Amino acid sequence: MSTTRPASLPIAPAQPAAAGAARPSREGAASKPSTAFRESTYLKHLFGYEILGKPALRLQRWRDEQAIRAYEPKPTDVLSPPLVCVAQMKELMTRHYLEGRYASGVKKVAWVTSGAPAEILKAFGFFLVYPENHAALCGVRRKTEEIATEAENAGFSRDLCSYARTDLGTVLSGKTPVGRLPRPDLLLCCTNICQTVLYWYRNLADLFGVPLVLIDTPFLYGEAQPHQIEYVKRQIEGIIPVAEKVAGKALDEERFESVLQHARDAADLWLEVLNRSQNRPAPMTAFDGFIHMGPIVDLRGDAVTVEYYRRMLKELDARVAQGVGAVKDERYRVLWDNLPIWYRIGGFSKLLAQHGVNVVVSTYTYAWGELAPLIDPAKPLDSMAKVYLHPILNRSPADKLRVMRRMVKEFGLDGVILHSDRSCKPYSLGQIDERELLARELGLPALLLEADHSDPRAWADEQGNARLEAFVEMMEGRG
Amino acid sequence: MSAVAGIGIDAGSTTTKLVAVDGGGAIVAHAIEAAHPRVEDQVARLLDELRARAGAGVGVPSVATGYGRKLVKEVTRQVTEITCHARGVFAALGTPGTLVDIGGQDSKVIRVGADGRAVDFLMNDKCAAGTGRFLENTASRLGVPLDELGPRAIGARGEEAISSTCTVFAESEIISLIAHGAELGSILKGLHRSLIGRIGAMVRGVGLERPLMLSGGVARNVAVRELLGELAGEPVVVPEDPQLMGAYGAAILALESSEGRFQAPTRRE
Amino acid sequence: MSLPEVLPSRAEVIARVKSQGKRLLAVMPIHYPRALLRAYGFHPIELWGPPDAPVAQGARHFQAYTCDIVVKATSFLLSGGADVAEGILVPHTCDALQGMAAVLHDFVHPRQRVLTLYHPRERREADRLYYVDELARLGRDLEELAGKRPSEGEWTEALATETAATTALAELYRDRPRLALGDREFYTLVRSREYLPSEDFIRIASAVQRGAPRAADGVPILLSGIVPEPMSLFDAIHAAGAAVVADDLACGFRRVYEIPERGSALERLAASILDAPADPTRGTPLAERAEELILRMTSTGARGMLVYGVKFCEPELFDLPRLRHYLGEAGFPMTHIEHELVSTLGQQAVTRIEAFVETLQ
Ligand code: SF4
Ligand code: SF4
Repeated sequence: MSTTRPASLPIAPAQPAAAGAARPSREGAASKPSTAFRESTYLKHLFGYEILGKPALRLQRWRDEQAIRAYEPKPTDVLSPPLVCVAQMKELMTRHYLEGRYASGVKKVAWVTSGAPAEILKAFGFFLVYPENHAALCGVRRKTEEIATEAENAGFSRDLCSYARTDLGTVLSGKTPVGRLPRPDLLLCCTNICQTVLYWYRNLADLFGVPLVLIDTPFLYGEAQPHQIEYVKRQIEGIIPVAEKVAGKALDEERFESVLQHARDAADLWLEVLNRSQNRPAPMTAFDGFIHMGPIVDLRGDAVTVEYYRRMLKELDARVAQGVGAVKDERYRVLWDNLPIWYRIGGFSKLLAQHGVNVVVSTYTYAWGELAPLIDPAKPLDSMAKVYLHPILNRSPADKLRVMRRMVKEFGLDGVILHSDRSCKPYSLGQIDERELLARELGLPALLLEADHSDPRAWADEQGNARLEAFVEMMEGRG
Repeated sequence: MSAVAGIGIDAGSTTTKLVAVDGGGAIVAHAIEAAHPRVEDQVARLLDELRARAGAGVGVPSVATGYGRKLVKEVTRQVTEITCHARGVFAALGTPGTLVDIGGQDSKVIRVGADGRAVDFLMNDKCAAGTGRFLENTASRLGVPLDELGPRAIGARGEEAISSTCTVFAESEIISLIAHGAELGSILKGLHRSLIGRIGAMVRGVGLERPLMLSGGVARNVAVRELLGELAGEPVVVPEDPQLMGAYGAAILALESSEGRFQAPTRRE
Repeated sequence: MSLPEVLPSRAEVIARVKSQGKRLLAVMPIHYPRALLRAYGFHPIELWGPPDAPVAQGARHFQAYTCDIVVKATSFLLSGGADVAEGILVPHTCDALQGMAAVLHDFVHPRQRVLTLYHPRERREADRLYYVDELARLGRDLEELAGKRPSEGEWTEALATETAATTALAELYRDRPRLALGDREFYTLVRSREYLPSEDFIRIASAVQRGAPRAADGVPILLSGIVPEPMSLFDAIHAAGAAVVADDLACGFRRVYEIPERGSALERLAASILDAPADPTRGTPLAERAEELILRMTSTGARGMLVYGVKFCEPELFDLPRLRHYLGEAGFPMTHIEHELVSTLGQQAVTRIEAFVETLQ
């Protein structure tokens, strides 16, 4: 039967012949792209990214930093000015997406899930696209509705995860706030966050006609069993030959080790960054955390990410030393469970701060730090197997409840907000019981907030804000 | 008539309600009207009328609640309907317990603590299946007047299982039942059962602390009362003016704030 | 005798099986190794809902965006519907069932032990090796529950009986045009697998008369989805002038396994599930699934595909756009009707079935 795909997908539609040539030959060695293609692509990359893009972004960062430093706080401010390092974070992320715009033909491109063992691909020199992060960005920029509608018009149900709908919408329509996403040469999908990603990536594989490497991670209802670890390890090993074929070169073991080391160092630092909020007042909010997690997700394994979080930590330490809190008048400290509501981050942060509430910790941002101690660059595959089997979304909800209970203690919390995310079943199913147990056992106000992490159509400001405020009133009532 | 010491305004999605209380917390005057698109003007007018009727000065503290609370300026404070309903019902019935309020847009189950504060609450998700609208919509589709819904459901001989959780699906299911000759009353009873099933899940979620109390306009519906009672294993307790409880609670909060008993936290814009 | 008279009810089966000293296991959809259960002396009773379970108890634990199978099965369990069972096996079919197993295990703590089984979503060497180990792990859980290990003879019997039952099911599908059964009867028989002991199923299925092949009594269609509830769906299809000649139902053809003859018992069982017909919950690539479906439609003469899908079922929903594309290219129209698990077929569904059949005529 025919396996025709839509004749041209809007993603990197420009040079169809060249794009074909850029694909590896069946024998596995990288075929040489045509000279014309190479030149134009490399030139574009050189000009657009190296010569024009990078310096412009650096300049922008410098300006942003100046602006933040020069900010005169107003007495009506409920939040402290942003961290200065946010300017660099913006630079890093924008640069990443800019590089992506020019990556086709210059680097091999892999699209990977947020919980995938991407370090191997990084060591091969792949340019990595994280569609979930891109979809989150669309959420922050309030583009989800428009882009997801493209996928819905193509027949994808509105009941599907909004990240998937956003990504498929971008693939089908080319719409994206970042200019353009590079077409993948390889897909890497790991089910340690959900099965959704598998259905989603099967669609990508079918649309793009590129290989999909699946890392299937048995869900841990209890302790990880040896056969489960072994299974994941075998699959991670299995990435190597496929990546070699697509990249046309062998794995550089040394580079692999250094990527892992960077990943480990960044994760260690990230965890420290988050734990700084155990201080009273907390130097940052979990909403800041959501924004600052870009590098640990997208640029995991890069040296610059390590540097970045080191700098961030320093800035936080200065705040702690001066007793500066992110929320100026911090009276209540709260936990956030599940993904953020990307299109309302700013609004919530302000709304809550008006009531003296600081959301100081979230289970979500922790997911990229808590497993750091498991990474062992000396035993790359074994330790990766364990790390990638254990994200919070691949462990039983009882385990998540334990984490939350511990956070209540360590962060001195007054309440808990559980975002019931219509899109994300693995994160959300179980929350009804978790909420009840937290409320009963710890006597804490606990709110189940129904929404969707990036589709604003599942959220009604009136209803939602009223619930948040009622929750605050409950904390106020406890005195 | 004793002097007005607090005014509560409940600017809800379907009706606007005002209540004035005296220093002892008793209702001295109230007003109720279908909600106007321009809430602000409506409230200002009703407030004037109420003040005139009750002989209250402009300085009386007031609290606004309900969806339109943010639009009601010139009040002492704005408080959510969760807190207000808990307060109102506590003041009216004098007992802690579990409170169900079935509204048009929202249904809530609130555990009311020993001091009348909301200790815990749950609300329906965004879908309409757990709200009064679920009944209203289907009732209008079936051509049954709203106030006949309850009696007809309770008077039914049988009961049809309506197991759809989504209003759209439920409607489709009902049309099928009718096409198969099911009795209207039995369908209505099933419909109520389905709604109460959703509410029941929330009741268990916050914990059933007796008595089970019911506020909101839907409290007039006998079938809702009876089925909820079945769920609790004892009759539900309904205050005298169930639909006024939000505004009443707001008025009580206004009264308390004037007495300094209720510390309104400073809020900044 | 007509089929409903021959088929015992669930209650009858449960009583009889218990009196024979067998243990009962409640089992959630879709795939699980029946022979493994049998070897340890367990008889599976599957829960696909049921549709008439009230939602309230399930809604107490699961948000409104959870599929009905999970919500209603939870209600059913909590209302004591499966108290005769000693354990609940929840295969890892999807995120919803993962949530159900976890919530039961972590928070609800039913009287019965919660057993799990994680299926791999590929068919590589690593997947096969893992799956054999995973089945062995399930075996250890069953052993704990049963307090015994199967003898060689019990294993042999279990494999032989389940292989025969699998074959009987496959033959029903193969002989379908020659069977004197209407669609509703046919699927009642297929679905009796959900509770009937395999030996009974073999007996009843092979006793169904085979006559001369006859043409379908209506526009031939393929029915896809998880579970055809309510079963009056078939009456509606019939009334609309169509006949189901093939299916892609999770409770139907997707479970027409073939147990290979070679290998250890666990290897054979692992292979039977891994190599079963296409199923998105087991990760079948889209083009491969489309190809299988097109082949099935071509060989049975089906003219279009009716997808009758459970609301909120992600694995099914994700595949639809590309399936529509592939089927369309091959000249097969497809329509999708979403449903909740209820005992009355919605009027909207009836109308849409009629409209779909009209387009096929
Ligand atoms: S939001 Fe949830 S369902 Fe969606 S991709 Fe992420 S983990 Fe999976
Ligand atoms: S209907 Fe779909 S979502 Fe529900 S249990 Fe079955 S496979 Fe999972």
